[in-house]
Order: sequence, then C-alpha cells, then structure tokens
Amino acid sequence: MSPPPARPGVPPPEDVLLEVRGLKTQFKVMDGTVPAVDGVDFSLRRGETLGLVGESGSGKSVASLSIMRLIERPGEIVAGEIWFEGRDLLQLPEADMEDIRGNDITMIFQEPMTSLNPVFTVGEQIAESVRLHRHASKKDAWDRAIEMLKLVGIPSPERRVKQYPHEMSGGMRQRVVIAMALACDPKLIIADEPTTALDVTIQAQILELMKRIQAESGAAMLLITHDLAVVAETVQRIAVMYAGKIVESGAVEETLLHPQHPYTEGLLTSIPSRVARGQRLNVIKGTVPNPFRLPKGCKFEPRCPYSFEPCKPNDPPLESIGDDRMVRCWLHGLPDQVVAPPLAAGTVPGGAS
Amino acid sequence: MVKFIIRRVIEALPVIWLITVVSFLLMQQAPGGPQAAFNQNPHITPEQVTAWLQRWCLVRNADILQTIQEYLGWLGVFNCTGGGFLSAHGLPNFLPEFLGGGTNGVLHGDFGYSISSGQPVLGLIAQRLPATTILMGTAWILWVTIATLAGVLAAVKRYSLIDQVITIFSYVFYSLPTFWLGLILIFIFGVELRIFPAQGIINVRTSPAPFATDAYWHAFFANPWPQLVDIGQHLVLPVATLIAVSVAGDSRFVRSAMLESLSQDYVRTARAKGLPGRTVVFRHAFRNALLPIVTNIALEIAFLFGGAIATETVFSYPGMGLLFYDGVNGRDYFLLMGILLIGSLFIVFMNLVADVLYVLVDPRIKYD
Repeated sequence: MSPPPARPGVPPPEDVLLEVRGLKTQFKVMDGTVPAVDGVDFSLRRGETLGLVGESGSGKSVASLSIMRLIERPGEIVAGEIWFEGRDLLQLPEADMEDIRGNDITMIFQEPMTSLNPVFTVGEQIAESVRLHRHASKKDAWDRAIEMLKLVGIPSPERRVKQYPHEMSGGMRQRVVIAMALACDPKLIIADEPTTALDVTIQAQILELMKRIQAESGAAMLLITHDLAVVAETVQRIAVMYAGKIVESGAVEETLLHPQHPYTEGLLTSIPSRVARGQRLNVIKGTVPNPFRLPKGCKFEPRCPYSFEPCKPNDPPLESIGDDRMVRCWLHGLPDQVVAPPLAAGTVPGGAS
Repeated sequence: MVKFIIRRVIEALPVIWLITVVSFLLMQQAPGGPQAAFNQNPHITPEQVTAWLQRWCLVRNADILQTIQEYLGWLGVFNCTGGGFLSAHGLPNFLPEFLGGGTNGVLHGDFGYSISSGQPVLGLIAQRLPATTILMGTAWILWVTIATLAGVLAAVKRYSLIDQVITIFSYVFYSLPTFWLGLILIFIFGVELRIFPAQGIINVRTSPAPFATDAYWHAFFANPWPQLVDIGQHLVLPVATLIAVSVAGDSRFVRSAMLESLSQDYVRTARAKGLPGRTVVFRHAFRNALLPIVTNIALEIAFLFGGAIATETVFSYPGMGLLFYDGVNGRDYFLLMGILLIGSLFIVFMNLVADVLYVLVDPRIKYD
C-alpha cells in the first residue's frame, strides 16, 4: 500500500517517527554546486529499521547528517521537511536541535578509530551525554556508562570505563560508540557505515549486537551502508540511493529478491557468488556521474543496460508500484501514463504506431 | 613520572655538554679579546694580566691542545693555577667542592668577572633578571592570551570577515621588525604625543633609588603603588612592541592547530551528542589543539630569559637583552658565555617541562 501523498507543512501520522520530504542538501564550492542530496523522501515508523544503500558519493551520509542538521559549510540544506515526532527539524531553533541530538536521535559513525576523543576516557565520553540530557549527577552518569558498556558486551566494564580510546581495539571502540549512542534511550539511531572499518569477524559481532539492542530498546534505526549483505541481515526495509536520489525502496526481502530498478539489479549481480564461481563478474559499466555535470534525464541512464528514448531527456519520478514499493524508472511508470514531465511526440516507444 | 624525569635529565646531559663546547668555541673564534681592554687601562700592571691569564688558562695564540686546556679550565675540569686535573685535595678537579673538587670553572658556579665592570657575571645577571622577568612575563601572558583567543576565534569563524581581519593583521605585524615598530611607537607616543615614557624601566627623577638596588626594593615594598604605576607606564610601549609581533605568529599557530582539531571526527561526534557549540569548541576541539600549543608556549618561556635584545636596546630597557648587547659591544666574553650558557640550560630545562606537560595533557603519551 502506498502512503497518501504528503502535503507540505502537515505532519505525518502518529506512527511515523521520521519522515523526510523533498530533502535537498547542496555543497556550494568554487567549481559550482554539488547537489549531494537532491530531493530525497523516505519515512520510518517507530521501531522500524530502514537500510539506506548506495555507492560512495550517492549522498547517503549527507542525508543522515542533514537529519541531524550537522551539515557544515560549504554544505547547506536548501529545501525539504524533516518531520520527527510531529516537529519539522528544519524549522527548529538550534537550541531545540541540541536537545534532540544525542538524546532522541543519536548517531553511530563509521570510523571507531577517530570518532572518539583521544583525550577523554570512554566513561567520560559516555557520561557526558547522560549528564547533558538527563541532568544526571556525576556519579549516576558514571554508573550509567558502566551499565551501557556491560550492555554492549564489553568485559570487565568497571575497569574499561576508565580507559582511553587508544587502549582499546577497533571493535571494542565501536562498542563504546554504540554504548554512547544508546545511553539516553534514543527513539532513532542513525548508523552510518557502522561496520565498514572493522574486520569481517568483528563486523558480524557488531551487527549482531546492533540487531539485539535495536530489538531490546525498540528504537527505530536508519542503517546507512554500501554493503547489501549487511542490509539483508539487519533491516526490514531498504531504500537504494543513486546520485542524490532514492531510486528504489521496499521491504528488504522483496526488493533484494526482485529488484525493479536496473541500478538495484546491477548492484545485486555485481556481488561475487559461489554459484557463478569462475565466471566473469557482472559489474555496472561506467562510473558514478560527475556531480557538476549530472545527466539531464534519468541519472542512471548513461550506465543503464535498459536505456530507451524517454530516459535521456526526462528524469523519472519516484512512483509507487504497490506492496509498499517505490521505484524511479521509466520502465515501470510507462511514459504515456506519466503526466509530467511531458514527452515530445514521437519519442514514446510504439507511440507513433 | 620520577623515572621519566630522571631519564630525560640524563638524556639532556650530552646536549648540555655540547652547548658548553659551542659557547666556548664561539667566543674563542670571535675577533678581538679581553686583553685589548686591559691594554687601555693604565692601572693594570703586566703582572696582573699574566696572573689573570693563568687563572683562566688563557694562552696567547693557543694551539689545539692549549685551546682544549682553555676550555677545560673554563669548564672547571682543569685547574691552571694548581694541580691540573687534580684539585688542592688531590681529588679530580671536576668534583663538587664539598666532595673535594676544585673551585674554578662553570661547573663550580664560577662564571668569572665582567671585564668592563669588574663585577661577577652571575651578579650582573641576577641584577638584570627582575627587569627582564617583568617585561617578558607581562608581554608573554598578554600575547599568549590574545593569540589563543584570536586563533580560536579565527579557526571557529573560518573564512569569515573576522578571520580575514585577524589574518591580515597577523601578516602585517609579523612582517614588521621589532626595532622599527619600537622606534615608530617611541616617535608617536613618546615624542609627539608624550603619553608614555620612551625609555628605561623607571623614571630616574622621581624614583627613590636606581632600579633593582637594595634601596629601591626597600622603597618599593614600603610603598609599592607609585613604583608600580611608574614601571607600568614604562612597560606599555615595549610590551606593545613585543605583543604585536608575537601575537601575529602565535595566533596563526593556534588557528592551524584548532582547524586541524575541529576537522576531526570526534568533533562531529561531540556535536552529534547535542553538546552546545561552545562546549564542542573548548572542551573537545581546544583540548586536543592544546597539545602542540603547550610545547610552543613552554619553549617560548625559555626564550624569555634572554630578553628581547632588539626591543630592550631600542627602549634602553635594563634587562638581559641589553646586558647581552652591551657585552657584545664591550667584548665582554665571560659575560656573554655566562648568558649563553645559562640561557641554553634554561631552554633545555623548559624542553623537559614541555615533555612533562605533554604527558599530562595527552593520555596517549606514556612516561616510559
């Protein structure tokens, strides 16, 4: 079932925790403007897990930082609405946003080696947000830090809490980052490539931990990754991003088993598999388009094996194809059903006959 | 900690030894000599000169072995008036006096006498230290504070108007030579406007006694206020000169350290925690930027000892810088060697302090 079209300025229904509408974040640099996020829509119900998937440079990290309003110059959010618990985050004053950051919405970052401050103990860093948001005493915040370390499976937390980040391994530090993100019982956890920098064995442990904690805490989770295997194991719904736009979204199993967008299909067939051992690996030809010279029509058209006439001049809209699935491709929204943008006569396949 | 300090002191010993060699050789190779000063003085007899030469192991037109002997004599390992390498007690001369060593040479605190004034070198230095401490201490506290604030502000507001203004002022002042800036300030504020005194540390007409004498300190502690006002007025122009140039350099240093630290992932983590901007900047970013800044500041303290030769000379300020300048002009080699050696020891010591501070500021650095 597709959601009713959102009206601007009207908050989404109660059960929707986060709804991003038409988000545009641009980076104005010397050579021009990079539309890193170019009109992204997605929503997340309470307790739901959504995987945001895409290549490097597809805009998924910028989208997550935009939700937190942590975009720094020269980046700027130029359009859109971000509804969280009935409030549009883009309209809030900075002070209210500070109350939400680290409290209602928390983030887990990619690099556990550098995302912790080297000059404070891990306990101080966890307790810091508890003291800030819970107005807890030093002692209570410290106890909470120990409790959180225990929760994320760090052995002898009473000793570890007094250690500095450099005294811990990468996996251990990522557990600390997760503990930090959970310390204030957030309603939404944004995890930006949480396992990318880790060894494969540690990756599995951390993913398992995140799944368990998400289930126990009931927080919604936005998992950002380029790794389809991670998504397949962790989330309920998936949204695929390409060149600043969402090209396909839906339930994770459905989408990965029956991809409807050529890009999703390309991503899936370019995973090395045991079945196709010895054969040539299928890759998506070409590279991500230059952000300064994006194609006029469909952004994926230059690399698309199914490209046909309407793709070059017209960018397809994100259309519902039923079963809570959306896809941005002319192959699905047949051009003659599409009202806007209009096609020039004669460009529609079979239209002239 | 104690082990760390002891190890660093032991490591510093070869450096200190090299410093004594370099200070000695520099003076040895410098043109002219103290004897020229004696030759001008009719009251000194040739016998006195010979005795003085032997006392300091000095030989006219010394060859290499004699030069080494001169060095060892100055150092206090060798004793030219007595038993050579052995002291009067028959023990090695380099040992401290209370262990039966000799009494001559810098090892035994014997830095010799100033040739021009005849006073002991250590006494002269001690007499000039208060003035230099007052000038350099005041300037240093002000410039470190201003440079840190300006640097942090410029880094936080990167590429903004305020950053550009701070940058332009930094480059302009950094390019100004201190002696020129000092002269211009004297001309404007001392000569034309007559707001501030142009030279010295005290007003000789109103002061109860010459600066840093016992009589002066007696009057100072009896009623410090007028003396403090007097010194303060004299400090304005030289301190302003020193600050202008030093703030320029140091604020650039703080700015780049802060930019480096602000771009780190943990700053983004801190912001994602919901910490207010001020806390992010000072608690998380500045705390990390402190590491290079602390080293820089500690080493600057070391250079304070030498005073600011150009500034003190321009303002005729009676500090170490002026003492050194006068020493150079008067070929006062014992004085110069004393200042060089003590100044270098101070730098070595402050390096040690910087290392200890570093350990305190950065938990990643271990004592051993």
